[in-house]
Amino acid sequence: MEQRNWKIIKFLVVALIAFLVLFWVRKTIRNEFSRLFRENSLNLAYSVSAIEPELLTERFPEILYYISYFDGIELQNRPILDVVKSLPDYEYGIENVLYEEFYISQKTVKIDEKQYFVIFSPITKDYEVMGIMIQLHAAENVLKLFRTVDIIFLIVFLIFIAVFSISTFSIDPVTAYATIITFAIVLTFILYPLYEAVRMTFMRTGTFTTKVWKTVLTERAYLKSFSNSILLGTLTATLSTVIGFLFAFMVTRTNFKGKKFVSFMVNLPLISPPFSLTLSLILLFGSNGLITKQILNLNWDIYGLDGLIIAQTMGMFPIAYLTMVGVLESIDSTLEEAAMNLGASRWKVFRTVTLPLSAPGLLSSWLLVFTNSIADFANPLMLGGKFNVLSVTAYLEVSGMNRLDRGAALSLLLLLPTMTAFYLQRYITSKKSYVTVSGKPSGRIVEIVSPSLKKTLSIIVYLIVAFLIGLYSTIFMGCFVKNWGIDYTFTLSNIVEALQRGRKALVDTTFLAAVAMPIAGIFSMIIAFLIVRKKFPGKKLLQGLVLLPFSIPGTLLGISYVIAFNKPPIMLVGTAAIIIINFIIRELPVGVEGGVAALKQIDPSIEEAAQNLGAPPQTVFSTIVLPLIRPAFISSMSYTFVRAMTAVSAVVFLISPRWYHVSMQIYNFSENLKFGLASVLSALLIIIVLSVFGILRVVVKRSEYLQKTII
Amino acid sequence: MKQVSLKIVNITKIFKDFKNNEIRAVDNISFEIIPGEFVTLLGPSGCGKTTTLRMIAGFEKPTEGKIFINDINVVEIPPWKRDIAMVFQSYGLFPHMSVGENIAYGLKMRKIQKEESQKKVKEILRIVGLEGFEDRPPSSLSGGQQQRIALARALVIEPSVLLFDEPLSNLDALLREQMRIEIKRIQKEVGITAIYVTHDRTEALTLSDKIVLMKDGKIEQIGNPEDVYEKPVNKFVGEFMGKIFFFPIQVLDILEKETLVRLKDRVYKIPSLPTDKADNYVLGCRTEALKISSDGPIEGKIKTIVYLGESSEYYIDTEYGEIMIRVLSPFDKNLSEGKSVKIDLVPEIAKIIPD
Repeated sequence: MEQRNWKIIKFLVVALIAFLVLFWVRKTIRNEFSRLFRENSLNLAYSVSAIEPELLTERFPEILYYISYFDGIELQNRPILDVVKSLPDYEYGIENVLYEEFYISQKTVKIDEKQYFVIFSPITKDYEVMGIMIQLHAAENVLKLFRTVDIIFLIVFLIFIAVFSISTFSIDPVTAYATIITFAIVLTFILYPLYEAVRMTFMRTGTFTTKVWKTVLTERAYLKSFSNSILLGTLTATLSTVIGFLFAFMVTRTNFKGKKFVSFMVNLPLISPPFSLTLSLILLFGSNGLITKQILNLNWDIYGLDGLIIAQTMGMFPIAYLTMVGVLESIDSTLEEAAMNLGASRWKVFRTVTLPLSAPGLLSSWLLVFTNSIADFANPLMLGGKFNVLSVTAYLEVSGMNRLDRGAALSLLLLLPTMTAFYLQRYITSKKSYVTVSGKPSGRIVEIVSPSLKKTLSIIVYLIVAFLIGLYSTIFMGCFVKNWGIDYTFTLSNIVEALQRGRKALVDTTFLAAVAMPIAGIFSMIIAFLIVRKKFPGKKLLQGLVLLPFSIPGTLLGISYVIAFNKPPIMLVGTAAIIIINFIIRELPVGVEGGVAALKQIDPSIEEAAQNLGAPPQTVFSTIVLPLIRPAFISSMSYTFVRAMTAVSAVVFLISPRWYHVSMQIYNFSENLKFGLASVLSALLIIIVLSVFGILRVVVKRSEYLQKTII
Repeated sequence: MKQVSLKIVNITKIFKDFKNNEIRAVDNISFEIIPGEFVTLLGPSGCGKTTTLRMIAGFEKPTEGKIFINDINVVEIPPWKRDIAMVFQSYGLFPHMSVGENIAYGLKMRKIQKEESQKKVKEILRIVGLEGFEDRPPSSLSGGQQQRIALARALVIEPSVLLFDEPLSNLDALLREQMRIEIKRIQKEVGITAIYVTHDRTEALTLSDKIVLMKDGKIEQIGNPEDVYEKPVNKFVGEFMGKIFFFPIQVLDILEKETLVRLKDRVYKIPSLPTDKADNYVLGCRTEALKISSDGPIEGKIKTIVYLGESSEYYIDTEYGEIMIRVLSPFDKNLSEGKSVKIDLVPEIAKIIPD
């Protein structure tokens, strides 16, 4: 106990000393800056006082002044004398002037919520003082600087206190540091930008206002975008769930031909770059599309709601499919067999057994697709036409009109439905009461559809898959066509040109994705390790925060990063760092969830044994935990890489001429009707992504035997 | 081998359950272990024995109290700096490392040269009887072999104290018996101070130099196996350590070294004193302290006879409930089921216990 008291005394003494030292340094810095600024101001005052009063307002519009000639004439552009008179060194200033000296007050004055330096200056003519001029120079810059200095010192002090208290009191400092750093990162890069975005929608030049929200919530165009988003989300979610369920049902409940191939093809849209399906839809059904124009010569094109539904459904029904396969596989098909043995007709079995049992799964996949659909940015940007949705409207506000506040408000509006749908979906999947899991899965499939119906259904499945294949092959075809829509002659020049013009974007993107990949992998495994294995206050909060990016639309994340990191204390806009951080944060929930699931499979006594043998937590993590959860680690890395390579919605706000993203390059090419070039880049991206997946699959497979030996 | 003493002083551990209620898993316990001693923490599940062990290892921090290893308080020292090795119930072998790498892990943490480490691994594998297993993956071994590897891995770092957390509970009965003997042999061979947690009284009786019997986070009795078995301080200890029967008695007189008690109309001279003061006492008798005798004070009727070969078990209904008496062969053929008998007790090995 005495030992502990000593520690507390030591801690308090050192903390006090540190505080005093920092306070002294801060004061010195402030004084020095203040002296510098005053000197500058004084220098300015010399030249100001030499100018004729009539020219003052014109030359120095921001300077407030009051002039009093000894002959009684007074001039001023603002009533400032009363405020200045309240200065304690007012008399002293006047005295100085009478001796022909300039004097700058030690204090500043506040006029209209703004701080000013006060300079007393003599007005001389032929070496004789004719009058007094009081100049007010804006002191906002120095105050801003002071605020930054204060923030920096506060941060330094807090870091010092945290580090010092951990090293004094914690018996496991490494874990404590890791926890604190994790918290700091998560708060800085998830919560802080969101807070700044919300703040911006309520603040204008330092005062609280609801004007932005009033505009956003009343203007017809914005409301239309909102209802369009909801409409699109509803239609896409419904259609995707129906198709997803059909596919899942056919794969799990019937023996139709080409099952393996179908389930492979269905995975493709999940990993392909966002513009690829859109691009081929435009190539086929655009205003100059191969099918609409060249073959059918229609006046119809795909831009608008109908095109969006097609593009999104083709891209998102695989989400519903994967969810439904999981649900249907966990429903024991002997239940259906039993119902059939009891004399129920096939349709009745489906209606009374299969459908009710898969209802929660259906709702859950509907919500998942809905979230994805309304958060989608790439498809509406390219295919929307006159049909505006919220994510694109927010983007146009920011990049076209330069109205960050409205963009922020619109994307916050988007958060409402995505968050609701996301947490509702979580709630449903957490209540698994409906799913029957039997210990003895019967390998046999009871076909509850009649042969003729099965034939019809499989034809639908084949048609959809064929359409998908058609879309992908269109992209590859597009690579070799001279001028799509006009001149269909074969050429290789697209490839050469695309590689020349897109090289920088490709290299940039690959570099950024490659840097984000290992950091995201290790960081998410560390967080998973902390969450599953360590005890610390605020664990629930950390879990919630880490999960948050799941439900944040990319548009919102991008806009809030621009708002938060374009000013002190953290200036990142335009750097590679902001893009990399964005990649990492966006994919964090997936990695952490994978890591948590993997860790929960591992007997904690394995790690305890290692600790026991003398391994500190960081060694336990690198020599035991990481090798044991390698599959989760690798898939987190590959997921981050692929998502970074194919990112659009957030990164579009963060790119700069220095750091460009290939998705935007594809978009720019196709906007300029350079479809050949866009196709080449899309195809390249697909190839890169697929080969990364292929390589990692092999790596993961090799470590699969491991998982089986872990209890 | 280092010889280390261990002292537990007023240790308390309070857990919070999901409703934030406080649960006293360990409630103000103290005990001491002398160098080279083999101590067992024994008790029913939930008695706090594993929590105590985990506090000694450093995986749990005591809410209150001190733990001294060689007179140094280790409560503020993390597990990886404590120089204590533990053998886990589920072995805790590293599945991604070979047997050799598993055993060498602790040596690597201690920065021991590779050659020397390999020598030590060979030596320890010889001691646990698994020579030449270095390159095998742990998953290819049987449960007993895995447990030996876990033991070897703990022993090879020559820790101050060796801890066992129910190490045999995952093995089948036959293997358990073998491993029990093996553990005892190895512990004596290396002369290490050891603490062993179990709920199995046979393990405790056969392995320990000292037994610490716990219940509801508190210590009920500390003593060597004979003491705990033969001289239980209360009814719980008596019942936990084996079959025992209690007879209400009247204490007539407490002399210097013996006690006069009355059971029904019979006065016995018990050669020990009551352990605690109480209003009422019972006489605790193990089956070996009971015999069938024509002039015994307890009357009963034979209900069942179980013939075991070298002996037989007689289950007799009495006014104190069912009593079991073991009789060595050959036995009286007149005693058959349904017969009335009289039971007497052996005062030399009976124990006065507070009721």
